[in-house]
Amino acid sequence: MNIAVQEKKANKLKSTRIAGKLVNDYWEMVWRAKEEGKLVCWYEGSAINPFLEAADICWVHGEAYSAMLAARHQEVKAQQAAEERGYMKELCSYARTHLGCAVTNQRNRNDADTGVSNAPDDDDLAAKLPAPDMIISAYAYCSTGQQWDEMTSRLFGKKVPIFNVSIPWVWGSKPDAGYLRGQEWDETSKYVARQLEDMVKFIEEQTGKPYPWDRLRAMMADIKTASKLRLEAMDMCTARPAPASFFDWVVSIAPINNLPVPGIVDYFTAVRDEVAARVATGEGAVPKEKYRLFFDGIMNWNKVGWLAEKFARYDAAVICGRYTHMAFWQEPDLINANDPLLGMAQNYLICPNNHAAPILIDLIMDLCKKFEVDGMVIHASRTCRAFTNPQFLIADAATKRLGIQTSMFEGDVTDESFYKDELLNSRVEAMLEAIDSRRMVA
Amino acid sequence: MRLLATLVLEAKPEEDVNKQEILAVFEDAASRPLAYAQAWKDRTGGKVVGSFPMNFPGEIAHAAGTLPMILQESDDAITLGHGLLFPFYCGYTRSMVDQAARQEFNVLDAIMFGDHCVQLLGMADAIRMQLPDTKVIFFQLISSMCDPWTFGRAVESFEVLKNELEEFLGSKISDEAMHESTKIFNRNRQMIRKLYEMRKSGAVSLSAVEMQHIVKSSMIMDKVDHNKLLEQFMAYVEANPEPEPKGIRLHLSGHFCQAPKREVLDMIEDCGAIIVGDDLYHGFRYISTDVDEAGKPVEALAKWYMERNTGVPCPTRVQNDVDWDSFLLKAMEQEKAAGMIVLMAKFCEPHMYYYPEVKEAFEKKGVPHLLIETEHESMAIEGLKTRVETFLEIVKRRQAA
Repeated sequence: MNIAVQEKKANKLKSTRIAGKLVNDYWEMVWRAKEEGKLVCWYEGSAINPFLEAADICWVHGEAYSAMLAARHQEVKAQQAAEERGYMKELCSYARTHLGCAVTNQRNRNDADTGVSNAPDDDDLAAKLPAPDMIISAYAYCSTGQQWDEMTSRLFGKKVPIFNVSIPWVWGSKPDAGYLRGQEWDETSKYVARQLEDMVKFIEEQTGKPYPWDRLRAMMADIKTASKLRLEAMDMCTARPAPASFFDWVVSIAPINNLPVPGIVDYFTAVRDEVAARVATGEGAVPKEKYRLFFDGIMNWNKVGWLAEKFARYDAAVICGRYTHMAFWQEPDLINANDPLLGMAQNYLICPNNHAAPILIDLIMDLCKKFEVDGMVIHASRTCRAFTNPQFLIADAATKRLGIQTSMFEGDVTDESFYKDELLNSRVEAMLEAIDSRRMVA
Repeated sequence: MRLLATLVLEAKPEEDVNKQEILAVFEDAASRPLAYAQAWKDRTGGKVVGSFPMNFPGEIAHAAGTLPMILQESDDAITLGHGLLFPFYCGYTRSMVDQAARQEFNVLDAIMFGDHCVQLLGMADAIRMQLPDTKVIFFQLISSMCDPWTFGRAVESFEVLKNELEEFLGSKISDEAMHESTKIFNRNRQMIRKLYEMRKSGAVSLSAVEMQHIVKSSMIMDKVDHNKLLEQFMAYVEANPEPEPKGIRLHLSGHFCQAPKREVLDMIEDCGAIIVGDDLYHGFRYISTDVDEAGKPVEALAKWYMERNTGVPCPTRVQNDVDWDSFLLKAMEQEKAAGMIVLMAKFCEPHMYYYPEVKEAFEKKGVPHLLIETEHESMAIEGLKTRVETFLEIVKRRQAA
């Protein structure tokens, strides 16, 4: 099967190019924050950034910073700094990279205290991340998030105030349990919303100002609009050929998840319009769509463009995925912009892993059916157990319930050393051949 | 099968039972937990409720008249479990899934848990899918330990867990039964803590493996029977003092959900160390804290949950106002331990997060420590032995300096 040798380019959405500029502008703003006298908050996991942005606090999402470093292939310095302090390679590489930034920051501060000149290079992005004035931990599902934040606090000598929002896992064992329904869902939603109220009080303590609820309401109205546009565009990918790929949606994560709210409605309007135009003209995300695939697992941030090109060469349109299609303000209708707390809490609760396997698998199977996929490629990210936890169960369900082929490969979120290219090549090729065989039999 | 516990308890008058015989009973239960559960079930006709480590209070299930047991990593190689969890998961989770896939948990009527380590959640999902006929009850315990609402949320969590168990069993668990179970569990913890004190002072000679058998069997056996055996054991060791063991005094730290392997513990002692204290889950961590015997039982459990993290801090919880590293240094001072061996189960994320804090604190204080990463599969003991021997030489030199 020599299809890999042919040069076929991924037909990426043009409108997503703006995301690159928005991302750069955002990080420039972060790096200037201290000079501009802004308070800086570090947080991971849930998208609490609107709470911070409304209060004029500079927000730094740990995963986003690690992902940015990896996407720019500048993650190694931070990871080395973390390893030098004793953080092991098997730890979540998002956390390891971000903690490496904290280690670097503290190291430079200590060097300055002792008079040793060790001014960070302006290009050293690990050192460039401004230290936090506060930490908010609001992590769904993965225990790593809370422990990562706690260790960050300890790295800064426990001098940085920290606030924990506990977001329980939705186990869903009661007869009334299901996606967005049941007693467990209702009670858990209210529990998280109550904590968000207290989180706002914590923010008020840090800023010394009353919380600007009107600004938050306005931002949530924009987020709701942007989210609906994003989902509308995603839904159009049921078309054949699919007008956009999973990798386009990966590039669009930052705008919906952690970039400044002003601008995201325009961004997703442009994306939606381009996708609609492609559907109208029959333009596909890969030049010659032969296979339609689901991508399970978190993104391999060192490899976004690279993977997009790889699958395009196989004529494989990776259309949807757990990471992109089951997270990031995924349920805009739950948000009441005039009274946003409960809807925000509920969106935090539906991060793509925070429902137990039976519910999660049903949702994935529904996506596979909706987008009429032929197969599923599963990225077993070595240090992200939150995503790898149900993957064997998902693969089993895909085969048994839908009769589709699956293929697994090992990689990682931000540690490239776990990625094995040849394994991916041979396994994907085997899967595509199996799909071909089935088609021939049919 | 016939259990050694039954044989010893039934066959001999209490006064004739010696230390080694009772330790053999503990070892038997610790080595064959599911066989013990089956024998208990056959004998009593009762229900068996398994739990995952490390914070589900067995008192609730005990008060309901069931046998609560903490499910244990098996020594068997992983087989079917490979098809459910990746090899980069800790040995405990892989072994548990493997046992479920091999239908070895059929003796269990229900499983209850409240901890939410990310790997444990993956394991729980896989186990639930493997055991469709076993009730799996979960309510996530708050792991942020010093929030204003931590106590209230912990109360709520234990209340839900209790209610769900009642619903499953079809009967209410009375406060009186909870108080009675609490007393039994406290008695058990207190006796084992006394053994820890005796080991520290040299009043009893107990190897690390023997101590593990005592604690691990307590996680498995009917607490009333375990208490009876412990009482006999205490009486025997108090009446028959042994010479104080000699060696380099060490503290063992870490290893949360699963028990350290026997060969590792034996190897450490064979190198010339004696273990005088630990904060292992299959050790002091498990029995560190008692539950209040008066008042509302569920509130007492919530208080216990919070106090045990203050008493023996755990990296699976977050609590900014307690430090595991400071606790370890203080414990070692009290134990007159000259060094510490950290046993880290490979892929244990909470431990990997906290370890640099411990390492830095120990280096700052000049207290020697050695990190050993352990695996479910067999380890290169000879290589580890060289490292431990070298470490003990370093400890000796520090002591001599």
